[in-house]
Amino acid sequence: MSKEQNSIGKSVVDLPANVTRSIFRNPLPSSDRGRAATSFTNFFLHVQPVRVSRQALRPSYTMGLGLISFFLFVILTVTGVLLMFYYVPSTTQAYDRMLDLRSSVVFGVILRNMHRWAAHGMVACVFLHMCRVFFTGSYKPPREFNWVIGVCLFGLTLLSSFTGYLLPWDQLAFWAITVGTSIAGYAPLVGKAIKFILLGDATVGQEALLRFYVLHVVVLPLVLTIFVAVHFWRIRKDGGLAKPETEAAPKRVPVQVEIQEDAVPIAASGSVAVAAPVRKFTIQGLVRGPLIKVGKLEEDTVFSWPNLLIAELVVLLLTIAGVMLVSFFFNAPLEQPVNVMHPPNPAKAPWYFLGLQEQVSYSAFWGGIGVPGIEVLLLLLLPYIDRGKEGVGRWFARQRIFANSIFLFFVLVNIYLIVIGTFFRGANWQFVSPF
Amino acid sequence: MGMTATETRSTEPQIGRRRFLAWLSGLGIAGSAALGSLATFFFIRPRTTYGQPNRFKIGRPDEFPSGSRIAIDPKRVCIVREGNKVAAISTTCTHLGCIIAPSATGFQCPCHGSRFDVDGNVTGGPAPKALAWYAVTLTPSGELEVDKDNEIQTGTYLSV
Repeated sequence: MSKEQNSIGKSVVDLPANVTRSIFRNPLPSSDRGRAATSFTNFFLHVQPVRVSRQALRPSYTMGLGLISFFLFVILTVTGVLLMFYYVPSTTQAYDRMLDLRSSVVFGVILRNMHRWAAHGMVACVFLHMCRVFFTGSYKPPREFNWVIGVCLFGLTLLSSFTGYLLPWDQLAFWAITVGTSIAGYAPLVGKAIKFILLGDATVGQEALLRFYVLHVVVLPLVLTIFVAVHFWRIRKDGGLAKPETEAAPKRVPVQVEIQEDAVPIAASGSVAVAAPVRKFTIQGLVRGPLIKVGKLEEDTVFSWPNLLIAELVVLLLTIAGVMLVSFFFNAPLEQPVNVMHPPNPAKAPWYFLGLQEQVSYSAFWGGIGVPGIEVLLLLLLPYIDRGKEGVGRWFARQRIFANSIFLFFVLVNIYLIVIGTFFRGANWQFVSPF
Repeated sequence: MGMTATETRSTEPQIGRRRFLAWLSGLGIAGSAALGSLATFFFIRPRTTYGQPNRFKIGRPDEFPSGSRIAIDPKRVCIVREGNKVAAISTTCTHLGCIIAPSATGFQCPCHGSRFDVDGNVTGGPAPKALAWYAVTLTPSGELEVDKDNEIQTGTYLSV
């Protein structure tokens, strides 16, 4: 009897400790070894490598663009879900709900602003991230397929932004989507069918609004999340961020030498991972063959905890701060409610499609489908066309001057077209000077 | 002795059968996935639309005096009357779907500056093809009916 009471009493006394231990496999580590072990056993931390190369941490190398894109996606998800509590995808209610966000929803304006500017920011950052990867030659083997996934992510980002553009149901939204979906209708054979399925009707209306809403809040974010997960997974599996040749094959040092022993007791499940890290790595090494770099430490690497985690935290805070700052000073545009009878003149697509619209004004098929189609195809095939192994992991390597020049040319032409379409086109798409 | 020979013979076709069944299963799964995708495609392609009907009445012929070109923006057609001949020309720009307006020389698109003559043929701008002409019929009640699902040749009028 007293024994039982004792054990119950003990359970009660130990409850907090037991609960804590059931959640966190290791106590808060105070040494590199402990932190490495914890990284290994914690769900959120194990996404990171235990060690990371110094090059990957240099802000001047990555500019944090991929990370910024990801954090913008997180901001978009959070603000987007919050906005969903007030939004109704109906042609008769959507615009009123936009006005309600301004007038009666607490923090409605700032949330909508954040969502809008983060969306534009994500399109820009994903594109710049792609440029970074190109100019540093980071799509070379074994990273070819991750580049392809990246191109898909860029497309998904554009689609997400484009589908969201319609939802406020104002003049800007309606005509941008009318113009944008007409471009889709130019694709040979399937264009008309794609447009009809996308809009659910012959013209932009209630069906289109509902379809874009479902795509915007469910389908595209879901697909995007899966692609992001694969993208991140492959960064790890392809050996981390691309490094120059000399650093890619460094002197290897056994694990035991670098990891400090520590006196911190390690929980049972954690000790499995810590006691036999070499063995675990070796199994993985057998699977992957000689490519594998884990199990041995590269010279020019540092522990991810704290080095990488602090860098990521700084990027996260700067991203949030940047989005909030812009959102405090600039309101997301909201024009007059939809008037199907009166297209604004000129009717412009979202800025990232204005290069496309500018091209379309020269030739509907070539500008809208032909040239963009070839560009996307080239992007997808790029790592399989450019098989040169030189100049990986450095900005503007001399050996890559040809590839970099071509890419830079395409980038500049597209930026030029977007600038022309955005600032130099007036009524009837006539050339006007903004000055 | 005889058993061994039988076993050797029977081993070969067994592997063949396994592989055949594996292929068959794979084909079945791939086929199901394909059929599923097709079903999804048919599901999301609307059979009925909730927007405006493509066949609609526009009024009696005498509401359109001779020589008039009256654009009905909500229906996106322009009714042309010349003498006793009536026709319906699309006012949806063949470029990017903006609503075009009748002008002194024909039609003009406000979005990208496409211009058309009075018959809807392209005279300038980015529009890739001429404006569509739709079939017009006279209903028993004496009203004109436009069928936008029925595109007819440019210059085909209905005599009223």
